[in-house]
Amino acid sequence: MAAIAAHKFAQCITCHAWSPDHSMVAFCPNNNEVHIYWLVQEKWEKMHVLQKHDQIVSGIDWSARSNRIVTASHDRNSYVWNLEGSEWVPTLVILRLNRAALCVQWSPKENKFAVGSGAKTVCICYYEQENNWWVSKLIRKRHDSSVTSVAWHPNNILLATTSTDGKCRVFSTFIKGVDAKDSTKGKSADLKFGELVVQLDLSLSWAFGVKWSLSGNTLAYVGHNSMIHFADDIGPSPLAQNVTFRDLPLRDVLFISERMVVGVGFDCIPMVFAADRRGIWSFVRFLGEKKTASSGSSYGSQFSEAFGKLYGQSKHGVNNDARGNIHDNCITCIVPLKENGTWTRRFSTSGLDGKIITWDLENQQDLSEYL
Amino acid sequence: MASTLRLYLTCIRNTLEAAMCLQNFPCQEVERHNKPEIEMKTSPELLLNSVLICRNEAEKCLIETSINSLRISLKVKQADELENILTKKFLRFLSMRAEAFQVLRRKPVQGYDISFLITNYHCEEMQKHKLIDFIVQFMEDIDKEISELKMSVNTRGRLVATEFLKQFI
Repeated sequence: MAAIAAHKFAQCITCHAWSPDHSMVAFCPNNNEVHIYWLVQEKWEKMHVLQKHDQIVSGIDWSARSNRIVTASHDRNSYVWNLEGSEWVPTLVILRLNRAALCVQWSPKENKFAVGSGAKTVCICYYEQENNWWVSKLIRKRHDSSVTSVAWHPNNILLATTSTDGKCRVFSTFIKGVDAKDSTKGKSADLKFGELVVQLDLSLSWAFGVKWSLSGNTLAYVGHNSMIHFADDIGPSPLAQNVTFRDLPLRDVLFISERMVVGVGFDCIPMVFAADRRGIWSFVRFLGEKKTASSGSSYGSQFSEAFGKLYGQSKHGVNNDARGNIHDNCITCIVPLKENGTWTRRFSTSGLDGKIITWDLENQQDLSEYL
Repeated sequence: MASTLRLYLTCIRNTLEAAMCLQNFPCQEVERHNKPEIEMKTSPELLLNSVLICRNEAEKCLIETSINSLRISLKVKQADELENILTKKFLRFLSMRAEAFQVLRRKPVQGYDISFLITNYHCEEMQKHKLIDFIVQFMEDIDKEISELKMSVNTRGRLVATEFLKQFI
């Protein structure tokens, strides 16, 4: 089995993030708080509760080098948390949003972060030394609907976004004074802030979960019509590929290597996609055993039985049903486990069932050729 | 169970399986709101195509989906006036107790007898396949219940009539 650790932290988890050394995990238990747990002698213990937001927290990212946490919430705010002594001290970020913030991610250099929002805008936030706060610059009037996901290119300039209008866009986020001109090689340095590099219109439905590959050559995102899209050579003439699969739509993806992608979503089980030698992407297999729900066909005749079913289903209940998958509900978040900033074959998933599961692809014989 | 009913219910079950992919989604139009998009219908891009499944003219099921909510509307078979009134009374009785059922809508969608509204919050609290089981079992049972009611009304009517007519013998 590829899953190496599983723990149920809460009733429901919207998103999670790991500390740089993986000893701590921060997650939102589907409310306005962020809980930080750490592993003491094989047991998870609650260490901190970050309370500042007043609506559900929709995004968390923990920077690997500077050890800062950024959170985004439906209350339109975002906070950057710094560990001072044993306390997490929040700094409010003036996002200048008038709708919910939906997703957040640190840039690779950790001097900027991007927030996608329901106001059909993307905020690029950076630290201003003289005023001692985080300011945000907005990319406006480009999206026709909510921005569901953001992803940074490894060069710290390009930002990919997906939106519920079904499009995936790539922007330049060059900010004078923050990004040095010569630090970026190639064309991307010539672009102004907010300039649209490319717009991919591959999906017929809402788009979610955009990610760049490790080198930044390939971009992957998913559509709600059970499709996953790959784009190479991001620029004036990108090469695109669509892969359709027969299962329920995905919510998020993650590159494991240049030729392998893991997708998670409504099927409660991670799916592996890989590119063959010619670069053609296809679905390989599920991670772990996929079992279908056994629908009890011995229905009684009385109405009360149907109602009993609804009542009997305890609201914060135990799972007495043998669905067989490790996750029991939609998986919403997949995060790589990086070691000292380098990528590994391990990742973790969290879902609406409140579990965080760590997976390792090290000993998967059939997948090793793609790693 | 008649095989056509089995096919009808299987079709509904599969459609619900695919349609019940909901997520938390805050309102794009109103600040700090989070409402079922299928009821508000503020942004057309957040709605999916609705699916209408018909067994025959009298029995149909409309499934409307949006990004964070799903509406299922049922039309129950009503062969005669007695069934019509029984269905109306019985479903009204259920609708008035909608909060006890969580997923029941207080008012059916126009043209239908009863509607369910499932939001992402229901999917977070309850297991998806059990929700689907509930809806399908509800549909399975409602016909039975109506015909049982009809039978008992008829039996009672016959008994009353017999008792009444006895005095003229």
